[in-house]
Amino acid sequence: MSVKITNLNVQYNTGDEVVKAVNGINLSIEKGKTLGLVGETGAGKTTTALSILRLIPNPPGKIISGSIELEGKNIFDYSESDMEKIRGDQVSMIFQDPMTSLNPVMTVGDQIAEVIAIHQNLKKTNALERAKEMLEMVGISGERACEYPHQFSGGMKQRVVIAMALACNPKLLIADEPTTALDVTIQAQVLNLMQTLKEKYNTSMLMITHDLGIVAEVCDEVSIMYAGKIVEHGNLVDIFDNTSHPYTKGLFASLPNINKRSEPLQPIPGLMPDPANLPSGCSFHPRCKYAKDICKTKVPVITQISDTHNVSCLAYEKETIDEFGGIN
Amino acid sequence: MHRYILKRLLMLIPVIIGVSFLVFFIMALSPGNPARTILGESAPIEAVEALEEELGLNDPIIQRYANYMLDLVQGDMGESYKSGRPVFGEVMSRFPATMQLAAGGMIFAIMLSIPIGIISATKQYSVLDGASMIFALLGVAIPNFWLGLMLIIVFSLNLGWLPSGGMGGWQNFILPVITLGTGCMANITRTTRSSMLEVIRQDYIRTAKAKGVKQKIVIGKHALNNALIPVVTVIGLQFGALLGGAVLTETVFSWPGVGSFLINSIKAKDTPAVMGCVIIFSICFSIVNLLVDILYAYIDPRIKSQYS
Amino acid sequence: MDKKRSNASEIWKRLRKNKMAMAGLAILLVLVFVAIFADVLADYDTKVIAQDLSKRLKGPSAENWLGTDEYGRDILARIIHGTRVSLIVGLVSVGISLLIGGVLGAVAGYYGGKVDNIIMRCMDVLLAIPSILMAITIVAAFGSSLVYVMLAIGVSGVPSYARIVRAAVLSVKDQEFVEASKSIGANTATIIFLEIIPNCMAPIIVQATLGVASAILSTSALSFIGLGVQPPDPEWGAILAGGRNYMRDAIHLTLFPGLAIIITILSLNLLGDGLRDALDPRLKQ
Repeated sequence: MSVKITNLNVQYNTGDEVVKAVNGINLSIEKGKTLGLVGETGAGKTTTALSILRLIPNPPGKIISGSIELEGKNIFDYSESDMEKIRGDQVSMIFQDPMTSLNPVMTVGDQIAEVIAIHQNLKKTNALERAKEMLEMVGISGERACEYPHQFSGGMKQRVVIAMALACNPKLLIADEPTTALDVTIQAQVLNLMQTLKEKYNTSMLMITHDLGIVAEVCDEVSIMYAGKIVEHGNLVDIFDNTSHPYTKGLFASLPNINKRSEPLQPIPGLMPDPANLPSGCSFHPRCKYAKDICKTKVPVITQISDTHNVSCLAYEKETIDEFGGIN
Repeated sequence: MHRYILKRLLMLIPVIIGVSFLVFFIMALSPGNPARTILGESAPIEAVEALEEELGLNDPIIQRYANYMLDLVQGDMGESYKSGRPVFGEVMSRFPATMQLAAGGMIFAIMLSIPIGIISATKQYSVLDGASMIFALLGVAIPNFWLGLMLIIVFSLNLGWLPSGGMGGWQNFILPVITLGTGCMANITRTTRSSMLEVIRQDYIRTAKAKGVKQKIVIGKHALNNALIPVVTVIGLQFGALLGGAVLTETVFSWPGVGSFLINSIKAKDTPAVMGCVIIFSICFSIVNLLVDILYAYIDPRIKSQYS
Repeated sequence: MDKKRSNASEIWKRLRKNKMAMAGLAILLVLVFVAIFADVLADYDTKVIAQDLSKRLKGPSAENWLGTDEYGRDILARIIHGTRVSLIVGLVSVGISLLIGGVLGAVAGYYGGKVDNIIMRCMDVLLAIPSILMAITIVAAFGSSLVYVMLAIGVSGVPSYARIVRAAVLSVKDQEFVEASKSIGANTATIIFLEIIPNCMAPIIVQATLGVASAILSTSALSFIGLGVQPPDPEWGAILAGGRNYMRDAIHLTLFPGLAIIITILSLNLLGDGLRDALDPRLKQ
């Protein structure tokens, strides 16, 4: 399934303040491809993902503007019952924390069978059979379908969540930090599982993560997100070898390098800005080591570096490039 | 599960022994002389002393308690001072009336409170939510005997729609059941609302929505089943308040139940009858709490697996 | 309970934001004022107790704002003095519950093991008797005086405080500041009262506020069935009970004392709920 997000703006209004979670982002995923969405906690990644399912909790959340097209059709034109038909069937989502994303008072079999029964019009018993097959596919014995979530380990629960997400062969799979809550050894298993299944069904995927290692492993293209905006976008080569945005550079610099263990890590100074009170100009300027005065006032636009690579930084814009000497 | 139920049943025994001991002890400490009460002020002192001996009032308290318990196990709670009939029979003959009232009050409370609580939570801050919260606050604050009197004034004395007391047809049930159930309903509404509000923010509710489950089913099945756990606890606790409230409600509506029998027995200083009523009410409350605990295990598999 | 203890001014700030709680507090302050100055507002001997049969069962008028009762006494004056009775009973009985329950709970939580087990099993027994029945039993046994009413309601409230204090003690007992006092040789009682109790005040304050409400409700219930405050002393439940016989013609006898009870309970509950939210902001979303 192809996905095209254009100028999406999402805000949360908490009464005291307006949190600008997503600020005019553009994304696209081609059929069968995987896009990585990378950024720190609070950058707006999950909000973006939930927008695709139209599951932003409202109130307090509200989609202010923009469009999200699935196979060329804007989902904001759909009715709620149309969306219910899409959710779990054509687009499904794997959530971040497997410990809390399963219903504690329903058996895992019933939880998987439910999504099958809704979208494939199967009887309950047949749906349960399918659910057992799905469990087997993710490496859990089908007999355990009648057990409850608390009887499974974290990694097993995430497999259940994946089984649930893949039960109806979705055309788009959104994975929101699917491995963050898991042990490193389990992480690899889960990622392999997702890769295999994705290739088997030619599913498009949006992989949300803050782990550049995972990106290198599973993604075709990458978007780097900061304070609700996409600051850099490109394919793996663009991002890993021609890193352009200072924030992306910072991300790489803060990774430990096994070959240069003597080099100190260089974390990005400061914290993610408060999304209710974003800095003026370029949101990244207070933490950017290349920042100039102009960055405090002028909001950067998207600059195309190559056919596949773009960046949103004043240092690459024609009018302002002279202010910066030597960032490239 | 059977072992769990058995274990909980066994735990009832010390509680019942404790309750009966406590009630017996308080009553034994009471300053009046039961023999004097039975025979009246004018009876000769010899007759009073003879009756004291006969009733075993001169024995040490522990021995009297042991005797009482031995009889209690056989369903013998002594004779009422007032009527001379066995207390157990007197209480049991009135028990169904009280249970009907309590069950009616509870059903009335549950049938209204859970739907109101759910709607209130799903439409938080709406007019309906505000109205039901004001209603719930008032429901907790209104003394049920006052509510009963007001209902009588409006619906019996002024409108003449419903009888003001006694047992009879279904019309006799309406006012007492509303009187008894309102406080309970207010409490359960509040718990349901706050529990639902808590649950609908959980990740698994989002998961259910992401599966394409219809909103109604998300609320009615996924959220409600989880939200019910604290609600069931409150229902169990409220049953105690309901039994206490039954005493007052029965007084207001001249309902021929255990509660009005208790009040009359207190006024007549009929100690065995008072003890019988309190002990039976307490056993009843303990059994309801046992049922609630078992129900709990059925709703929440995490508790069930702890005991299987 | 909380690791980061919020200080009083912060709690007050949060409480002030809560309009419902502030309304409750305002009403409560008025009630306290009325209770303190009851004698100034209405003389006890001439207005509250003295009978005047020429004025019996009069409806509300300029002279008697809320009407008169079957003995010609001013209902407003009796309700005003009833406020004093209700607030005193509420406070004293909660004080009794708190004292006994607090000590039992603290001891149970602090020593644990067998002591804990015995105390808490006893509390289970107390809890198995519905609290109003417990109060009725005590008053029935010892007689209907205000002292026994307070004692009865106080005792029936013991288990809930014991549970709260025990839970609170368990949660703070192993924290460092308690270990520190132990290590400098403070004795057990000092530790319990100076270190542990102040650290579990939040849930106790909330429970006590709501407890005063339910104590007032229980008192009026006892008086209503003739087991509480005895006539001619004014108590809301007793005034109400007196009015029962005249419901058809003189509704004001039952209506107004009931409203007094409702307003009082409502204000205490509003304040209690507000305090709970203010003391533990995590509970509120």
